[in-house]
Amino acid sequence: MLKGNHKIPDRPRKVFPDMLGSLVLGFELKESENAGGSLASLESGEELKAFEPNGLGSVQPVAMSDFVDEKPKGTNLDIRSRLLRPAKDGHGQVSAMEGIIAADEKRSDLQYELSQPEINLEKLQRIANNGLPDGGGLRATAWKLLLGYLPPSHEMWEKDLTEHRSKYAKLKEELLSSPARWGENTTYAETIVESNINDGPLQRQKISPEDHPLSVGKSSAWSQFFQYTEIVEQIDRDLQRTHPDLKFFSGDTQSSRKHRESMKNVLLLFAKLNPAIRYVQGMNEVLAPIYYIFSTDPDEQNAANAEADSFSCFVRLLSDSVDHFCQQLDNSSVGILSTLSRLSDLLKENDEELWRHLEHTTKVKSQFYAFRWITLLLTQEFSFQSIMRIWDSLLSNPFGIQDMLLRVCCAMLLCLKGRLLCGDFIANLKLLQHYPTDINIDHLLNVATQLSPDTSSYSLSL
Amino acid sequence: MVLVLALGDLHIPHRAPDLPAKFKSMLVPGKIQHIICTGNLCIKEVHDYLKTLCPDLHIARGEYDEDSRYPETKTITIGQFKVGLCHGHQVIPWGDLDSLAMLQRQLDVDILVTGHTHQFTAYKHEGGVVINPGSATGAHSSITYDVNPSFILMDIDGLRVVVYVYELIDGEVKVDKIDFKKTTATTAN
Repeated sequence: MLKGNHKIPDRPRKVFPDMLGSLVLGFELKESENAGGSLASLESGEELKAFEPNGLGSVQPVAMSDFVDEKPKGTNLDIRSRLLRPAKDGHGQVSAMEGIIAADEKRSDLQYELSQPEINLEKLQRIANNGLPDGGGLRATAWKLLLGYLPPSHEMWEKDLTEHRSKYAKLKEELLSSPARWGENTTYAETIVESNINDGPLQRQKISPEDHPLSVGKSSAWSQFFQYTEIVEQIDRDLQRTHPDLKFFSGDTQSSRKHRESMKNVLLLFAKLNPAIRYVQGMNEVLAPIYYIFSTDPDEQNAANAEADSFSCFVRLLSDSVDHFCQQLDNSSVGILSTLSRLSDLLKENDEELWRHLEHTTKVKSQFYAFRWITLLLTQEFSFQSIMRIWDSLLSNPFGIQDMLLRVCCAMLLCLKGRLLCGDFIANLKLLQHYPTDINIDHLLNVATQLSPDTSSYSLSL
Repeated sequence: MVLVLALGDLHIPHRAPDLPAKFKSMLVPGKIQHIICTGNLCIKEVHDYLKTLCPDLHIARGEYDEDSRYPETKTITIGQFKVGLCHGHQVIPWGDLDSLAMLQRQLDVDILVTGHTHQFTAYKHEGGVVINPGSATGAHSSITYDVNPSFILMDIDGLRVVVYVYELIDGEVKVDKIDFKKTTATTAN
């Protein structure tokens, strides 16, 4: 089912859909085995419907050829595309696949993997890197495994989940309840209240000196409570603004209010447990996809405990990037500025021309646009659906989220190379701060994985 | 968890220059959700000061208030409780429980807050609670000169109220608390 005249280039080449041909003009991958380039022979705008095996390396070609209508070209292409496919698994062809078949294959592979008694995390990472299927709670389970929330051993899930969830409930009880209840001896309080049922003067009780709402002492439970009201207000305000286009989060329905309440609890608990960082604007955006995926899990148990699960996973997710939020660490080796310079170095290594143009000619420094990309894990740059797909790859990178994040950021720059090279400071900044939404996410992620890493000489060949 | 400050009978500037410094240092904006004032402030500056502590301010008219637009009585619903407010000089005999209970039934409230006597009292009477926060400045009343500055802070949480009583005795702030619960009976009071 190949449309039009399909001239296959003689040299093995990486194939990019021509929609992005203009954007990747002049873009050349230097070191990788297959030099990239656009298929100039294709008419522009034509969708490549090459039947290529999907990333799982299963016996696709045989199945596919059944669908191809006895066209010799089709089978030729199949063989050719198998040759074209580099040694790397699944990162070769980027084209619009026959969606249903591929998605089904993915889903069944994933389900098979997740049903194993002892899950092979590496295999899961590989599968997830190519995108997890929406719906069916598979993504939720996969993310929990990738973040280390669920252990690889299937039988431990029940026990671990209940343990984590009850820990969360206890934390909530301890830190989020009203200060009037803190340290209260409930039976004693009950007797007093009972004695005030009858008419007569109300009994006055002695209280410890700091134990009233207006106390100014630092040690009082009340003053600690009031310290957090400002944070609570800010969290509330940010949550109101989270994804205003999604009914799940915004609006005045009971369910959206409940969701915002749950997210507020998670964020407030995080702020109380991390007094050095507290709450920083933007954490709500990082929490949103996690919470969304977990609470739309068709499994009722999981959906009901989405708050507890998202808290733990949120903590794990932020564990290596939490230093980005701390202002004091900005200039240190773990702070955001150092990460931004690593991004710069990555870009320099992969495309010196673009790097020079951005850093020196137009003086668009990475902190002007990439700060938000990195701290918020790209949640503000793409549509909600795309974020899910990107995070699949981020979470499944065996070398850590930050590594993949920098790669994706670099890829984002490379994909816009054409436009960036002709722009000046203002145009480039505008472009990068409002990243175009028509970018093909799969292509972007492919470019990201092809990038030559800045530190070691490993390759992701599997 | 709603914090409601109840105070009154300040008589600024006629009988007292200002709130005691120790009280003023405790009253900071941002903590209190409502202020209920029994009256006799008496001037606009006091009104403005209270407004800075909390934007939701309710005042009943005392006989010396310079602003004649305050209402004689007021009813406010906070959480599960209906709170009534009146200065108290209208209720004769002054401070008499039965007469105040009549006013409470008339206003149909759970808690009635009145002043005028400049003495802190808190009674449960005939199904409702009558509270007098006293005089926040310790100004002398029509009856006596022996007045300790006092005010109250109510923490209304569901069906339970914890009243924190702040008194300035011998230059020191003393805090007590009173705990009571509203019975869930659906009576008028």
